[in-house]
Amino acid sequence: MEVKSLFIIAISSIFINNFVLSRFLGICPYIGVSKKIDSAIGMGFAVVFVMTLASMATWLINNFLLKPSPSNLFYHLFSAKEPPDLMFLKTIAFILVIAALVQFVEMVIQKLSPGLYRSLGIYLPLITTNCAILGVTILNLDLNYSFIESIVHGFSAGVGFTLALILMAGIRERLELAPIPEALKGIPIAFIMAGLMSIAFLGFSGLKIG
Amino acid sequence: MKDIIKLGGILLLVTVIAAAALAMVNSVTKPKIDEQKKLVIENALKIALPLAHKDAIVKVDSSEVEYYKGYKTPEKNELVGYAIVAKGQGYSSEIETMVGVDTAGAIIGLTVLHQVETPGLGTKIEEIRYGEEKPWFQVQFLGKTPEDLAVEQDGGNIKAITGATISSRAVTNSIRDALNVLKEHLQKAEEAVKE
Amino acid sequence: MSMTKEFFKGFYAENPVFRLVLGLCPTLAVSNSVQNAIGMGAAATFVLVCSNVIISLIRNMVPKKIRIPIYIVVIATFVTIVDLAMAGFAPDLHKSLGIFVPLIVVNCIILGRAEAFAGKNSVFYSLLDGLGMGIGFMLALTLLGVTRELLGDGKLWGVPVFGSGFEPVLILILPPGAFLTLGLYLGFFNWIDKKTKK
Repeated sequence: MEVKSLFIIAISSIFINNFVLSRFLGICPYIGVSKKIDSAIGMGFAVVFVMTLASMATWLINNFLLKPSPSNLFYHLFSAKEPPDLMFLKTIAFILVIAALVQFVEMVIQKLSPGLYRSLGIYLPLITTNCAILGVTILNLDLNYSFIESIVHGFSAGVGFTLALILMAGIRERLELAPIPEALKGIPIAFIMAGLMSIAFLGFSGLKIG
Repeated sequence: MKDIIKLGGILLLVTVIAAAALAMVNSVTKPKIDEQKKLVIENALKIALPLAHKDAIVKVDSSEVEYYKGYKTPEKNELVGYAIVAKGQGYSSEIETMVGVDTAGAIIGLTVLHQVETPGLGTKIEEIRYGEEKPWFQVQFLGKTPEDLAVEQDGGNIKAITGATISSRAVTNSIRDALNVLKEHLQKAEEAVKE
Repeated sequence: MSMTKEFFKGFYAENPVFRLVLGLCPTLAVSNSVQNAIGMGAAATFVLVCSNVIISLIRNMVPKKIRIPIYIVVIATFVTIVDLAMAGFAPDLHKSLGIFVPLIVVNCIILGRAEAFAGKNSVFYSLLDGLGMGIGFMLALTLLGVTRELLGDGKLWGVPVFGSGFEPVLILILPPGAFLTLGLYLGFFNWIDKKTKK
């Protein structure tokens, strides 16, 4: 049961509710970093990595600091009468956690693997304002996912993003050579391509799992 | 090093000011939000349990399942039915419905509490046709018991909305599952009383 | 620097969506109806104006190194205020905009204006800039919203406008329609630009 539901979360966030093509999250990097396959792969890995970590970190923060539940740490710390409801701080807390996390990951990668840093480094600062990251953490909350489910969701949503990004980069490399009306060159044609890809991904919505 | 402490201190200060401001806003909006939520549930219960008196609907929160009991009079002596919230994953959102059944288990009322489905397709689960009073998709459920609930594609007799089978199926299956849970719970409770 | 120029540049010359190509996630996601488009536009405008004013006020006190995190905190504060107020006073809109309300935090338009304008200019000009950009964003969203709702669902503000013979172009209201509509509009504005320059 447990494994099956995790599998369903993974498949649906990669294909059916693809972050880019159906939920409209992470559009800026999707259009901005999809000109070359190499950079698309770099960006994709960085996003998968940060999304998984962010899902983990925000779940812990939410459940032990913000949520009014018996496991709330403030509740024990100040021996309050009832658990405090700090949910209104979620947006500010999550975005700060993500910003800090990105900084931290950048430092660690720089120390441990300069090679990886050279290939991922330039994408990391862009990630803080990638709405796919904040989006996945808020969705985890809205969908009431458990710790494990959140991690799986974060990871597979990142994979879905990477998939859409790499496919797009592949198409755009070829578009360079195609005869396109002058006015549609560059970003407009990229959006029209994204629309066609999104139509293809609509097909997955008929998928019946489980 | 000193620099880091200073900068960190400034950032902390800004965050504390922000949090304090938000706490103030929250104290104003929270009662309003809670009131809104209560109102949504109250209105939904009126539709789900049309025969129940408005002051005679009691929330039952057992460890297994959360549901509502509706009585005909404020004195709470004549039980008219139960209501329960059903949740199912639709096409682009979790669809929540409030559904009411009579004591025999047949559906007497339902309404959608929350959905963010595709406009023009999935949102038709709430569409009221011109000249009608109730959403046509939901009317199909009235009088049915959980065993009857499945969309036609799955061999049942609920007509799915054209182009929105996923939303239709989500509503149908989530209601069936919720009612089955409720039924099981009520049977158990009854047996416990007998023993 | 003229007041009218700072205010009106966001409408067309530097329209955040069509010219600067920023803030695309909400543009695509909530432009499936006019109501959503205007609600999102108003919420973003409020945050943009407030954060621009505050950031302009504190611009000389903020150390350069940590200005971005501080801007983010300021923006997140106003976003939460909008989020809470909307949940309390316009619950239906709050529901249909869903996670895109908290996601205004990472809307690049807002951080972009903070960094490019409010951090360098006086309070009054920052206010005009925020208001103009916000309205420009709302106009863009509304244009997309009208197109998609009218052709994809046959309605305007939830009211049917065509007779029963009208068969809606369903694809426009679905996710692909968002990409296609925006792509075509971007191309259209490029084309106008080229024509007028000649």
